[in-house]
Amino acid sequence: MPKKIRSKVSNTVSGTKNFFLGIPRATRNLYKEIPHQVKSFKEWIFTFRGSLTILCLIGTILVPLITMDDYIMTILISFLVFSIFAASWDLLAGYTGQVSFGHSVFFGIGAYVAAAFVKMAGLPWFFSMIIGAVAAILVGLIIGIPCLRLKGPYLALGTQAFSLILFNLFMSGELKDILGSTEGISALPAMSEAHIVTFFFILIIMVISFIILTIIVKSNIGTIFKAIRDDETAADASGINTTKYKLIAFMISGFFAGIAGGLFALNSRAVNPSVFLALYSFYAIVMVALGGIATISGSVVGAFIYWVILTELFKPMGALGTIFLYFPTLISALILIIMIRFADQGILKPALEHIREFYDFLLGR
Amino acid sequence: MGVILEVKNLTKKFGGLTAVNDFSFEIKRGEFVGLIGPNGAGKTTVFNLISGFEKPNSGSIRFDGMDITGLKPYQIVNLGLVRTFQLVRSFHYMSVLDNVSVACLSPRGKKASEKVGLDKYASRILSEVGLIDKARFPPVILPHGDLRRLEIGKAAGTNPQILLLDEPFSGLSYEEQEHIHALIRRLSNEGVTIFITGHVLRELMNLVPRVIAMHQGKFITDGSPQEVANHKLVLEAYLGRGGGIA
Ligand SMILES: Nc1ncnc2c1ncn2[C@@H]1O[C@H](COP(=O)(O)OP(=O)(O)O)[C@@H](O)[C@H]1O
Ligand SMILES: [Mg+2]
Repeated sequence: MPKKIRSKVSNTVSGTKNFFLGIPRATRNLYKEIPHQVKSFKEWIFTFRGSLTILCLIGTILVPLITMDDYIMTILISFLVFSIFAASWDLLAGYTGQVSFGHSVFFGIGAYVAAAFVKMAGLPWFFSMIIGAVAAILVGLIIGIPCLRLKGPYLALGTQAFSLILFNLFMSGELKDILGSTEGISALPAMSEAHIVTFFFILIIMVISFIILTIIVKSNIGTIFKAIRDDETAADASGINTTKYKLIAFMISGFFAGIAGGLFALNSRAVNPSVFLALYSFYAIVMVALGGIATISGSVVGAFIYWVILTELFKPMGALGTIFLYFPTLISALILIIMIRFADQGILKPALEHIREFYDFLLGR
Repeated sequence: MGVILEVKNLTKKFGGLTAVNDFSFEIKRGEFVGLIGPNGAGKTTVFNLISGFEKPNSGSIRFDGMDITGLKPYQIVNLGLVRTFQLVRSFHYMSVLDNVSVACLSPRGKKASEKVGLDKYASRILSEVGLIDKARFPPVILPHGDLRRLEIGKAAGTNPQILLLDEPFSGLSYEEQEHIHALIRRLSNEGVTIFITGHVLRELMNLVPRVIAMHQGKFITDGSPQEVANHKLVLEAYLGRGGGIA
């Protein structure tokens, strides 16, 4: 783009609305033409992004074939589960502009319901997980309806309130008979005999979840979500029933957060009220901020950075490692502040651009 | 030709200020009507009331024989009554094409776009408003004139029966105004009923065959541009405020 347009951008953009939490405040690239959307899978595989994704997927598949170390498996499974969770938040906040600070509600309901059905009803884990996710959809409706009138920080607080209510409800032991008391439900049967099988189950569910989420955000419904995020009044004036679509976003997001929660409980073979803590909502936000908001795929990068790179980085650091382990909120908050202040696009997009520039440079383009 | 829009005794108060005061008028199907008045006369408020963005304190609005008072904006749009904004509103982080696609995805827009296919239909609208070369750009980089055209393109995407255009010329150069003129004329010729506001008399006088004038929320007169321009109260309203009449 010529310089002339660039200066025009800075003039115009300063007048546009700044979204809460910088969603999506990443205005730096706005002077660029928005690339044409790749519609078919075949086409996608041969794009830069497509081939990179396939490469990463192959890498992930290879890990357990090389090493079956329990510790590595545990870390990788956390990474997979939380990437689904982060992506579900990204759909709601990054794509639809509904910043929820109570996403742990969906996660927790998914976890509890899945655990309860496995333990009490003896259902297979897969069905329990789906039932948990459906329960999370219902909760999404229950939370969505009163919260829809709230905007920006008020919505964040409203959703946060629900996670507090549920945390206290589950802590109180009122639901002791079905869902356990403060110690929750434990000693769930393992998802499978071998760790590696569990790993592949979760990997498959994660890949399918990401395919579905990507299809949704690229489809017409995704276009409507983005319109609501950018300007709700204008969407209304374009004949869009914004209430309906915001509810749909809450439900889809709730479903995938519920899946993540279910997998989390089933894999750890236990669940307790701490899943409703604000910390879990925070995980999703930090991972999305790390990877890049409104990208879906950024959630994988964010989850990888958080659960694999940072964990490993802090572990040998003695006192600092202890802080990371015992005060994750502190670290998350720091990361979030740094990301919002210095890298509101997250890491994925700028990194991809640099890699691509380097790639072009190597090829002498 | 039947009446398409019938506004009766519309009143809207903001605290102590009566922005629209017992305002009534009718528009027939296919008409091309202007609403003029100096800044602050209440034109935008009239549009907000008709399009459902504000609730009137009293009065009623009938569209196509149906009472639409109190309906939500998106419901009114899907009946075929669509408005644009004086301060342009676009979806900043989406391409110009997607901006129009959103309107084509509304239930009413969908019905019209389904036969042709969404992308093709939206592209056709972009060609009509002269933005097809910029289909892939985000609106933030477009000059003001283009944003005004996009505003009309977005409205057109919903396949309107009547289009309420709120000051589509404000802040535009003469050349850009000509473009919008031509665009609106074309829409009118295609059979869309047009209701358009302006606070500079000259801008509307050459465009519309019928003008409604208002001042301080009240109806003043209704007639041909010449009649209205020479009306005593209209002259007073404009000259009293030092507004441009030439
Ligand atoms: N939401 C509002 N709250 C308070 N006063 C308003 C509001 N909207 C408009 N007004 C007042 O109503 C009057 C009419 O405004 P408006 O309809 O925008 O006039 P116009 O479009 O003719 O310039 C003005 O005095 C304006 O200050
Ligand atoms: Mg106005």
